[in-house]
Amino acid sequence: MNKVKAFIIYFWLTVFLIVVLFPFIWMIITSLKPIGTGLTLTIIPRPPTLSNYKSVLTQYKFGRYFVNSLIVASIGALGATVLCTMAAFAFAKLEFPLKRPLFGMFLSVLMVPGLMFVVPQFAIVYRLGWINTYKAMIIPHLANVFGMFLLVQYMKTIPDELVDAARVDGANNWTIFLKLIVPLSGAMIATVFLLTFQFHWNNFLWQLIVATDEHMYTVPVGLAMFRSAHEELHTLKMAASAISILPITMIFIFAQRYFIEGILRGAIKG
Amino acid sequence: MVSRTSWQAYLFIIPFAIFFAIFLGYPFFYALYLSFHKVTDIYDAFNALKFVHLHNYIKLMKDVEFWWSILMSLLYGAITIPLSIFVSLILANLLHRTFSLVKLYRTGFFLPYLLDVFVVAIVWKFLYAHPYGIITQLLQRIGINIPPLLASPKTAMLSVAIAMTLKGCGFGMLLYLAGLQNIPRSLYEAASIDGAPPWKQLFYITLPMLKPITLFMVVTGIIGALSAFAEFYGMTGGGPIIRVGSHILGCTKVAGLYLFRNLESLKLGYAAAISFVLLIIALIISAVSAKLLRVEW
Repeated sequence: MNKVKAFIIYFWLTVFLIVVLFPFIWMIITSLKPIGTGLTLTIIPRPPTLSNYKSVLTQYKFGRYFVNSLIVASIGALGATVLCTMAAFAFAKLEFPLKRPLFGMFLSVLMVPGLMFVVPQFAIVYRLGWINTYKAMIIPHLANVFGMFLLVQYMKTIPDELVDAARVDGANNWTIFLKLIVPLSGAMIATVFLLTFQFHWNNFLWQLIVATDEHMYTVPVGLAMFRSAHEELHTLKMAASAISILPITMIFIFAQRYFIEGILRGAIKG
Repeated sequence: MVSRTSWQAYLFIIPFAIFFAIFLGYPFFYALYLSFHKVTDIYDAFNALKFVHLHNYIKLMKDVEFWWSILMSLLYGAITIPLSIFVSLILANLLHRTFSLVKLYRTGFFLPYLLDVFVVAIVWKFLYAHPYGIITQLLQRIGINIPPLLASPKTAMLSVAIAMTLKGCGFGMLLYLAGLQNIPRSLYEAASIDGAPPWKQLFYITLPMLKPITLFMVVTGIIGALSAFAEFYGMTGGGPIIRVGSHILGCTKVAGLYLFRNLESLKLGYAAAISFVLLIIALIISAVSAKLLRVEW
């Protein structure tokens, strides 16, 4: 009886999983087919070829777009993580005037649809003369409120006694921050870094607006331009999509725990 | 007890606060300012702003295309939110047991949620392609002829919604799974002793206990639907076109696309006014949903 039940559950889970992952499986299969055969229904490409990837990376400059995405996502995530960690320490472990209103003001942004900021942020970046720079893609997103919130929640679970003991031993705030809080918050700091990296990697609308020069395109922006020009080159389009999806997939497989932890904490305690 | 009050706290906050102020705080007020202005010279948009009182808002109130776009965004939300909740709940229930492959399945279901919406939209557009896309071809082989899904007024919105639900359902699954694990077993045991059948346990224990998560899904879903852009930019571009009365409208031309088109043509004041109205609508609907689901914030 129980074996039958387990089988039925496995069966449905497997069916669902195939449906959910099918687009990506088909994307990979198509990307391995010889150019011009993208619409065939063959499941095993004959012969499988990497020529689409080669062509996309060199001839169509996705190599460059990939580097751009990587620079923006890495520096953006690093900067945001440093700022968030510092601010979170103050909110979680220090007392100061205006603490609560300040925190409330920061968090209020989480209620606002992201689209709301696009117009004024674009105007600001334009006036600063930052169009087509990495700065334009990175700096407006340095204050990551959600990441800061996650870190505050996490640091609050570190016992105050530890902080007090360090203070009695003569440690100042910087020492406490660097030697005690940062090492103890390592897992959550990693989570915030990864979530911010993922945010930048997928920040399509903003990058589409601020990158108008081909050299500054990120992968999704490059894909948008490529498909307007070559709608019919399906195998190349799928190869470019695969290149865009690959890094996040790899990171997720190896650092799954951090993503899941961060998302659960953000949603359930938030 | 050592006093933790310290002016030094500000040193830790200032870097964050500066970037917050310039790129999140100021933009809010700058958007308000812009929404009362109009660009008079498109080649010098940022210096040629003219104060036009409430003109943008008055124009917006009478703008059929704008209200239509809000309606389409809400329709998108009205399809994706219940559908995601339903699919996520089923997945979470199937996964809510201890067998060896749970983690593997969880990984598979959750991964698409983390991927770029625009790229996933491009892949789905390829699957939906007519007449040579795989979905059309496979259905044809078993004798079902379908219209071009993304190009028919009746199916375009639904097709985008299904694609995005499949992409995003891992998020809800994860939340519901965590929620299910937090329901005390004793509740079910007590119900079983009292002779409550499984379906009663579902409606009187499981679903009520998961209500805060459902509320969270509804609220984030509404904000998400009103901000939706990349999936439509990637799959339909706002089409197909239909005629409603004397107006020519796009079946999937959602608010995000409408805002983008205005921004693209540098109608900054008008785009800013759209942003504000979107914000107000998002806040009202979120508050109403919270009331309806009767959960305290």
